[in-house]
Amino acid sequence: MTTWRRLDPLSRTGLVCLVVLVLAALAGSVFGLGGNPDGIVGSRLAPPSWQWPLGTDQLGRSMLPRVLEGIGTTLLLSTLAVLVTASLSTVLGIVAGYRGGWLAELVLRMVDVLYSFPTIVLAILVAAVLGPGQAATLCSIVLVTIPLMTRLVRTAAMTVSERDYITSAVISGVGWWRILARHVLPNVSGTIAVQGTYALSVGILVEGGLSFLGFGVQPPESSLGVLIQQGGIYLLAAPWLLAFPGVVLVVAILAINVFGDGLRDRLEPRESRSLV
Amino acid sequence: MRLLSWWARRLLSAVLTLFVVSVLIFAASRLMPGGFAEVVLGPFAGPDQRAAVSAKYGLDQSLVVQYGLWLAAAVKGDLGTSLLSGEPVAGEFLLRIPVTVELTVLGIAAAVLIGIPLGVYTAVRAGQRGGGALGRLAGGLGVSVPEFVLGSLVVFVFSRYALGLTVGGYRPLGEDVGANLRSMVLPAAVLSVFAIAVTARTTRDAVLNVLVEPYITASVARGEAPLAIIRRHVLRNASIPILVVLTTITAYLLGGAVIIENLFNLPGVGSYVVQAVGRRDYAVVQAGVLLAAAVFVVLTMLADATSGVLDPRLGKAVR
Repeated sequence: MTTWRRLDPLSRTGLVCLVVLVLAALAGSVFGLGGNPDGIVGSRLAPPSWQWPLGTDQLGRSMLPRVLEGIGTTLLLSTLAVLVTASLSTVLGIVAGYRGGWLAELVLRMVDVLYSFPTIVLAILVAAVLGPGQAATLCSIVLVTIPLMTRLVRTAAMTVSERDYITSAVISGVGWWRILARHVLPNVSGTIAVQGTYALSVGILVEGGLSFLGFGVQPPESSLGVLIQQGGIYLLAAPWLLAFPGVVLVVAILAINVFGDGLRDRLEPRESRSLV
Repeated sequence: MRLLSWWARRLLSAVLTLFVVSVLIFAASRLMPGGFAEVVLGPFAGPDQRAAVSAKYGLDQSLVVQYGLWLAAAVKGDLGTSLLSGEPVAGEFLLRIPVTVELTVLGIAAAVLIGIPLGVYTAVRAGQRGGGALGRLAGGLGVSVPEFVLGSLVVFVFSRYALGLTVGGYRPLGEDVGANLRSMVLPAAVLSVFAIAVTARTTRDAVLNVLVEPYITASVARGEAPLAIIRRHVLRNASIPILVVLTTITAYLLGGAVIIENLFNLPGVGSYVVQAVGRRDYAVVQAGVLLAAAVFVVLTMLADATSGVLDPRLGKAVR
């Protein structure tokens, strides 16, 4: 609750948007809002109406439940991937930052190698090896987001390990495991939270881009990227097919970024000055 | 001397990174489903034909030897042969590179000419009332709208209403400059939105970090004009993060304006690689990814070398 009170209005709006999206996805999958996403209900490519609030697609399926399902798939895949990234980056970053030496060098080298691939190119390579699908999407997001997060966690851990309280803990004979868990981890958790938020928006972007190219989530499963890709085919005949998932995707990414900015400003405040 | 040894270390680490990158790409290409022979011959080939193809592409040798041959050839500029067309991959890339380079140049020009001034302006105005939330929202929107969404919107608008610019219908620059620009403006504009937003954000952060330094307070106290302070003190000290982000954007555009090239039907490097993945033409995928990563490594190395010149303190920090 304290986090909420400390956020600025724009970041609060972002957080609210995110919660609404999650609730909408849950309403679709748990309570069946909008009906069956796979059921053919009416005429093909029907524009939005009272009966089908977001219109129907090329097979006559109602778009509302499909968009809700898409939100769920996209958010779930990205969140899972970011959790994996956060765990790996935390372990690698803290160990490299605290221990230093050849271990840190090795971690940094590995990270540099992954960093050398442009995001979407790395994702395409992963999809080519694993075959298109959810596993490739998840794996791509992890590989794309891990380098930056590991680097920043390492930098934060390095700064922390030079502090006096770490020195005194070492002198008092506290075991290294306890030092890492009780003293280093809590002090880098802010960095992890902020970077995790940004990684989530990157994850959504990667899912969208990969599925848009046809290497991500595969139809008939729906995700925001798949819906946008399919909508692109009927862009001129039925623009609403692309418009709704497109808007939802932008809102999701914007909400996460704005929330992340607010979180960062809270955790790493910085003053400004005037030039006159 | 110190600067030289710093550059040497940087060069060494770049070579090492590229080596590991190449091993990774080679390993990935061998892990792809349906081996080389499978793709070339299709499912109905007999064992003799398989053996012949394996011998022709050197697949009967050990993996280490195969990797060595591949790397040696790649260093010499031979990126292999397309499994489907039988043509050398390098030639096809050479034909497509101008498209990607033109797109990159246009995107980076927009980032420099619009992104940097925008970032400086918002940073200097940051302490003042109004515009704060609006600027953040606009900047956030620029970073948050994925290129495939913005690109689709542009395709929709310009396909439906003829506004003088064409969607698709690419013409080479040497053939017809006007037609070329008409087909390149839209994809470049879509790319530049992201480039401008990222550059502006980075510039803003860098400038904000410089503005709190004591020497800026001193310049203000001496009564220097704001524009002079920005030019002489702020921009020079904020230049390294800006250089880094511009390098990253350049490398990413060169290696993978994949989605935009696909969307606007531009015959660039990115769309070639995407088609190759779809057709399982692994030689092309392998070469394309290697090229993209190599461009990135070389560009970041050059940017680091430039940083050493821009900020002499960096070279001295070496222990």
